[in-house]
Amino acid sequence: MLREGSELSLVDLMSMAKPNLESREKILAKLRGRELVNCFQCIKCTSGCTALKLLELKPHEIIKLVNLGFVDELPSSDIIWTCVTCLKCVQRCPQKASPYHVIMALRNLAVEREAKVPEGYLKAVSQILETGLAETAQKVVTRKMETVDRECLKLPKIISPKVGFQAVFMKTMEEK
Amino acid sequence: MKTAVFWGCRILTGQFAYEMSVREVLPKLGIKLVDLRESMCCGDPIKSVNDFTANYLGARILALANLTSLDNLLVPCNRCHFTISEAKNLISTSAKAGQKIKDLLKEEGLEYNLNIKIWHTIDLLHDLVGLERIKKAVAKPLKGLKVATHIGCQIIRYSDLGRVDDAENPRKLDELIGALGAETVEYVEKLDCCGSALMYSHPDSALSLTGSKLKAVQNLAVDGLVVSCPDCQLMFDVKQKDAGTTVGAKLNVPVVYYTQLLGLALGIDERKLGLHLNQSPVDQVIARISA
Amino acid sequence: MTRIGVYVCHCGLNIAGVVDVEKVVEYAKGLPDVVVTKHYTYMCSEPGQRMIQDDIKALNLDRIVIATCSPRMHEETFRRAVAEAGLNPYLTEIVNLREQVSWAHTHEPEKATEKAKALVRMGVARARLLEPLEKRKVTVEKSVLVVGGGIAGIQASLDLADAGFKVYLVEKAPSIGGRMSQLDKTFPTLDCSACILTPKMVDVTKHQNITLLTNAEVTNVKGFVGNYEVSILRKPRYVDAERCVGCEICTKACPVKVLDKFNENLSEKRAISIYSPHAVPKIATIDPDYCLRLKYKKGVCGKCQDACEAKAINFEQQTETIQAKVGGIVLAVGSEVFDASRMVELGYGRFKNVISNIEFERISDASGPTGGKILTPKDGKPPETIVFIQCVGSRDKRFHEYCCRVGCMATLKQAILAREKISENVKIYVCFIDMRAFGKGYDEFYRRARDMDIDFIGGLPSEIHSAPDGSLYFDVFDKGTNKLLEMHADLVVLGAGLVPNSDLGNISALFHASRSADGFLLEAHPKLRPLETAMAGIFLAGACQGPKDIPDTVAQASGAAAKAIDLLLSGEIELEPLKAVVDKDLCSGCRICESICPFIAIEIKPEVVNGNERLRAEVIEAMCQGCGLCSSACPTGAIKIQQYSNKQVLTQVEAALEEACAEGGK
Repeated sequence: MLREGSELSLVDLMSMAKPNLESREKILAKLRGRELVNCFQCIKCTSGCTALKLLELKPHEIIKLVNLGFVDELPSSDIIWTCVTCLKCVQRCPQKASPYHVIMALRNLAVEREAKVPEGYLKAVSQILETGLAETAQKVVTRKMETVDRECLKLPKIISPKVGFQAVFMKTMEEK
Repeated sequence: MKTAVFWGCRILTGQFAYEMSVREVLPKLGIKLVDLRESMCCGDPIKSVNDFTANYLGARILALANLTSLDNLLVPCNRCHFTISEAKNLISTSAKAGQKIKDLLKEEGLEYNLNIKIWHTIDLLHDLVGLERIKKAVAKPLKGLKVATHIGCQIIRYSDLGRVDDAENPRKLDELIGALGAETVEYVEKLDCCGSALMYSHPDSALSLTGSKLKAVQNLAVDGLVVSCPDCQLMFDVKQKDAGTTVGAKLNVPVVYYTQLLGLALGIDERKLGLHLNQSPVDQVIARISA
Repeated sequence: MTRIGVYVCHCGLNIAGVVDVEKVVEYAKGLPDVVVTKHYTYMCSEPGQRMIQDDIKALNLDRIVIATCSPRMHEETFRRAVAEAGLNPYLTEIVNLREQVSWAHTHEPEKATEKAKALVRMGVARARLLEPLEKRKVTVEKSVLVVGGGIAGIQASLDLADAGFKVYLVEKAPSIGGRMSQLDKTFPTLDCSACILTPKMVDVTKHQNITLLTNAEVTNVKGFVGNYEVSILRKPRYVDAERCVGCEICTKACPVKVLDKFNENLSEKRAISIYSPHAVPKIATIDPDYCLRLKYKKGVCGKCQDACEAKAINFEQQTETIQAKVGGIVLAVGSEVFDASRMVELGYGRFKNVISNIEFERISDASGPTGGKILTPKDGKPPETIVFIQCVGSRDKRFHEYCCRVGCMATLKQAILAREKISENVKIYVCFIDMRAFGKGYDEFYRRARDMDIDFIGGLPSEIHSAPDGSLYFDVFDKGTNKLLEMHADLVVLGAGLVPNSDLGNISALFHASRSADGFLLEAHPKLRPLETAMAGIFLAGACQGPKDIPDTVAQASGAAAKAIDLLLSGEIELEPLKAVVDKDLCSGCRICESICPFIAIEIKPEVVNGNERLRAEVIEAMCQGCGLCSSACPTGAIKIQQYSNKQVLTQVEAALEEACAEGGK
């Protein structure tokens, strides 16, 4: 474990970025275990990544960047939002380094640092505060062009959580 | 047998057919559903915002289930099942996180109980109800029907968490379809992801994944695709046309929930199973079965 | 009144860097019965030892306390030094100031020094109560049992036999040769495996000191080092070994087809056959699970018997049990290959053209199922593209965490053989994480492979798919070019790792050989004692102790043989006296000690006392490891470990708490 105050003597000559060990520790703290550091770059995760062909997501690269401390360039990058959450990398990684969980931790960091977060996620937060659900009730058009909703389908009414829920929900959002 | 049921957001706000078909078929197989006192989000989209909050939401669902005093909780949505399973795993293994979440739940007078089994429709039907019971209940065997299955990602991975079926060779959905008298096919793209999680940020890529898989299924010359998750259904069924446009193919694949197929085999009326709500061309499948 | 000398070692800076040794020496001066206290940089060195020896003579010391590193390091050394000075070596007490003080409390030097003082005080208290002890001698058998007839067992047997020892070489299969006889060529020399192995196999049969027992397994082991009694079960071949000439006419006559295990099930043989192409002994064996006559008894089939001109077939042959007395045992039972079907995503077992490295070896071997031609299993044609995939089942928390050590070199060899045998046009790729070419000539071998236009892809695929025509395709991301590559291959060879035998649990129980966390047999010390188990007289050779290549196997086998020779050559061995000893007057015959002893070192013997028959425990000194379990379990205190009596242990406890008691129990 790297001690406080020590700095890897590395500089990325393309961006002149230096590793930020504090940010690295932040990510490690969000993960269940420290297996991130066990990654030995077998590249299986990237070879099987659903998002690689379309969106160039390379999980092995993200793990290596975080491990060396080059964390700060990631939360503001689009790449962390390309993960499909198919969980193949978690399933197949021989060292349980779990790129998916690292990517989720980076997304949390992006929200915390107020970097660009896809709107949909933030909308989900406000929607949950309002109704308890992340989506709004919709009407569906059938193949025969009838418009139906829960009520006319005789499905039970949606009951929202009681008032106390919002306050506790907001409290949990303060956990970083 | 009674089980509490948690529907999540997708099913309650738009994927009505899944709810309708589950509510129809399970009682016929001896399972009584007990709704939780209120509806809430499982925390899936919140995982990308604040992991702790997401786990809190999952634990809150367990607390709501605890109010029913039942030992079983059915979660028909794949993503909800994964999110709640991860939450349960966290509070059982981390004393610190478990305590924090306990204290927060207390503020609403709620408490979770870890002695609850989390089910999905697939393992509830396959392992709890059993193939024999389903076979016996079949009134209209789906003879001659050949389908492809899409079990989805989040209920088969990752194995260490304890999932509904095997991650590399899931057979339960295929066997459940076999119990109805129909046949399933194996295909290379069987475990490919529907892409739904990308809709928030990269909808074109999401539809591209959906379209590629549908194209492959179409080439199998099967009667349809069977799913068990509202997000997968949203992509393959509701967004089939858009997916076709994205990948430059004319897609014509009937997509149904397993519980809808099961309902048809049990002799339940198609409207009760919400089959009129499916956007893909399911009429041809229904016609084959009724014939 | 004892006269105690206390010596504190600096151990360079290992101890002195944390513990204030001078303060400890000052403190020791004040302890009762301590006559001299000294400190030195390296107590275990020659001047250090001489210091102690001179003091023993000059100051008439009768107890020595040395505060130094762990007794497991130099207790023997110091005992010998003390003995040389004329004092009984068991009057030496080692206090551990390194592993238990300076290494454990590196960041708290003051507290460490206080602890060091306390430990020295405890050591001195114990030293007062130490008693002089003598080693005992026991005669031993100058014979050795070697379990396993692969190259490890063969090498060990030949070395032992050449040294004049009688050897029982027991092999489970109908022929010796093991894994090495399945190989085509060996790395890095590309020596033909059979060519270098078969002469040794023949030497085994010719050696007058070796009794070769094939188709046999050890079923029971009793006794102790130097005096083991083993039972060997020889399964019937149903063929008379004296009459069979190995002509194989019986095989041609037999109607029952059976998968050929030696060829990794890639071909078929018959229910009666010779086990392998260069089998030693070259005698036919009948598989009772498939032979019609043996399964259905009555006058069924028997075609082999009709055909055999030597009249060697004997369906009535029985199992034989052979008893042997041996002084030592060498375990050389080898390893198995990882079952790659466990990594479902790679398609092994589902796709015919995905094979394992051991299957490739059989295909490549001239005496194998394809006559040495590299042909794909699905359609028997030479492949146009071969891809090797490394680390299958190894370096993987899901299966085996360890590196299999031979996978990289085996693949390089197979890739080179493929190039040489097929053509310069075949495309050969190796997908790897690291290329481990650590041995003599190994990296040069890697360069040779690259010279032959074998391409190396820095990355592993996640999954393999099969096209309808049986060809294979998959995606793999290459670290070097940063490209996602789609690969198409006719043949995929999986570098499956070496794993512990599935029946190693049996071996472990039979020979009381522990297993390490990775499942292989455990050596007594990974650095300093790699050739033996913790059980005296039981040695390890070859892959059963950990995956390894042929040079290391042969080295270890010869080493294990040398260890056994070392142990047994003089015809007697000395036993450490730190063993359990029974006070018969206190023993009630309750048998708790017998049930608890992990080394089966306690016998319960009936004795007649005052006309009554009573049971009494007796320690088999040679088996006793002095672990102390019996002593703590005994309800009457009848059994105690020499030098670890209750008094000797409790005096240390009292010494430890001395200061605390003085301070009012803080």
